[in-house]
Amino acid sequence: MWQWFHKWGSPKWFYDLSGRWLPWLIAGMAVFLTVGVVWALLYVPPDYQQGYTSRILVVHVAVAGTSLAFFPIMAIAGTVTLVWKMKMADMVAKAVASLGAWFSAITLATGSIWGSVMWGTWWEWTDSRLTSMLFQFFLLISVISLRSALNDSETAARACALLSIVGCINVVVIKYSVEWWNTLHQPASALSASSGSVNGIEFWLPTLIMVIAMYLFVAVSVMMGTRNEILQREGRSKWVQDLVKEG
Amino acid sequence: MPSEVNQNTQNMLSARQLFCERDDRVLFDSLDFDLAEGEVLQVQGGNGSGKTTLLRIICGLHDSFEGAISWYGDPIEKQRELFYSSLLYMGHRVGVNKILSPLENLRWSCSMHGSTTPTQIESALAQLGLRGYENSPCHMLSAGQQQRVSLARLLISPAKLWVLDEPFTTLDAHGVKDLENLLANHVDNGGSVLVTTHHKLNVSSGIHYLKLDDVGHD
Amino acid sequence: MTESETEIIMGERGISTFEAFRATLKRDLLVAFKGRNELLNPLMFFFIVVSLFPIGITPDREVLTEIAVGVLWVSALLASLLSLDNLYRSDYEDGSLELLLLSPHSLYFMTLAKILSHWLVSGLPLVLLSPLLGYMLALPTEAYWTMIVTLLLGTPILSLLGSIGVALTVSLGSRGLILAMIILPMSVPILIAGTLAVGSVMDGNPVGGHIAIMGAMLAVAASLAPLASAAALRISVN
Repeated sequence: MWQWFHKWGSPKWFYDLSGRWLPWLIAGMAVFLTVGVVWALLYVPPDYQQGYTSRILVVHVAVAGTSLAFFPIMAIAGTVTLVWKMKMADMVAKAVASLGAWFSAITLATGSIWGSVMWGTWWEWTDSRLTSMLFQFFLLISVISLRSALNDSETAARACALLSIVGCINVVVIKYSVEWWNTLHQPASALSASSGSVNGIEFWLPTLIMVIAMYLFVAVSVMMGTRNEILQREGRSKWVQDLVKEG
Repeated sequence: MPSEVNQNTQNMLSARQLFCERDDRVLFDSLDFDLAEGEVLQVQGGNGSGKTTLLRIICGLHDSFEGAISWYGDPIEKQRELFYSSLLYMGHRVGVNKILSPLENLRWSCSMHGSTTPTQIESALAQLGLRGYENSPCHMLSAGQQQRVSLARLLISPAKLWVLDEPFTTLDAHGVKDLENLLANHVDNGGSVLVTTHHKLNVSSGIHYLKLDDVGHD
Repeated sequence: MTESETEIIMGERGISTFEAFRATLKRDLLVAFKGRNELLNPLMFFFIVVSLFPIGITPDREVLTEIAVGVLWVSALLASLLSLDNLYRSDYEDGSLELLLLSPHSLYFMTLAKILSHWLVSGLPLVLLSPLLGYMLALPTEAYWTMIVTLLLGTPILSLLGSIGVALTVSLGSRGLILAMIILPMSVPILIAGTLAVGSVMDGNPVGGHIAIMGAMLAVAASLAPLASAAALRISVN
């Protein structure tokens, strides 16, 4: 009896809980995002070295910082899926994976926009952070395509869980090896200062606000994605059908 | 001999409250069965009723199910290696590599369960009517002959529990007879068989039936 | 069940995990050697890809010297990738994989045996052919030993990582591209370590550290990858 409860109960519990939290999270995200974006793009003073380019850096740093969290989250969700066979963890992992791919893509885009001004080129291999982000992006895409290739949702869940754990370890190794690779390729000194200087309160405070806004955004997106997934997968269960009837 | 101690006093394999769902369809729910030494359990049911899935669950090849399976009274997941050393599984895909010869195939698959001698394998192949084919690559053999190669494992393996998924499908009348004899011998020696087939088994003693269509359809 | 009963079931006929490892290795090598053409394919592929680079880039020996290691490594990576299908696919299709999963021996060592056999058949020949290709790409003489040693350490890692990818995708009908998408990004650290080592020796710098790092990568991969492959195989046959 309690297995049934465990099985069906926890998605419902998540659905109810996230339903109550979402309005607050969305409100918080809206405030932080508006303040952060307006401050970052309109009011951050020009940097003595980078000029107004530093404004996009505030956005870039926030997105990039958040991007780093995705693989660890997926690895933890994957461990929960494999060890405790909890279906909720996989629904979260699915939502996180596609969001992570978007975040990595935006990190690469903002990074290269910033680079186009600072380096005079849209892509610079000697920047180890962007290079390893590129490979993280590839690995996230591979997790997503593995999931879409496997038909059976149970198999897909566990295969992706395993790949996320392996991928997480790999991303760390890639990060260090790309840095190592760069130090030996002796980049020109102007290029090596990739993310440059974010000094002074007028830089880090809007950056902090943007980081918080980004994490709230991630929380909201993951919750909404997971809720969507719950409704799809639990469509047969009674509470979802009741929900549909209520309209 | 411990097998005498256990004879009919304790169930070799028992399943309690098995529940399995695949692709949003309940295959079976609160399924119970027991299998003692010297017994045959024939699983029956239409196509898609979950016979193969049930067999794979018992073997530990499929693990998205709920319920408990025990081997001599203890949970099976706590004694995998012990269970596997007494298990012989034959699925739809018979486990015969096309490039290798019957002899080479059996040398590997039987060695997983214990050391074997070439003479042992050769006599098993001969007994199943494969004399002369020992060294030809298996892609030259017909489907029924490949099935026989796999059946030769039954003669060599020391396993006490045979789990056979539709073992009669590709066999000719002669092969059916051979397999029936094998089953009868195994059961007489205190072994047990879990088998899915539409075939009417001619085994003298202790045959039970498990009908999957009857359970768990709501 | 008591211990004495355990012994009787395992019996005097029971074999050790080491023997089962050897039997599996022997079987896989036998399968590889009996399918002779397939045995040569990765090697020929390696040769062909490498010879496309001078045609596509330049026959200029100085440029070739510069890119030689990278070309060799990327080609080895692709050749290893294409040969990976042999690792578990036929076993999955003919049911031997199920027998392997149901053997009383630790699946860790069984996958390790299969990976070792894959490397002996498809990785080692690449290493043996590499000096010839290095010569054709105008690799400087002082770099040969480093190249051979790093390939010797790196190609087993490719087989180990590849094994995880194949095990995850073995149940898919068309798995070529998705396998590449999983394996290639993961191979970046090996590519970096391998090319850096050879680059370093060409610059006249010591190379011990690079080789030590590759050795460490191999040790970690050899201990973790069979574990992940075993788990992936269980998931795939589910």
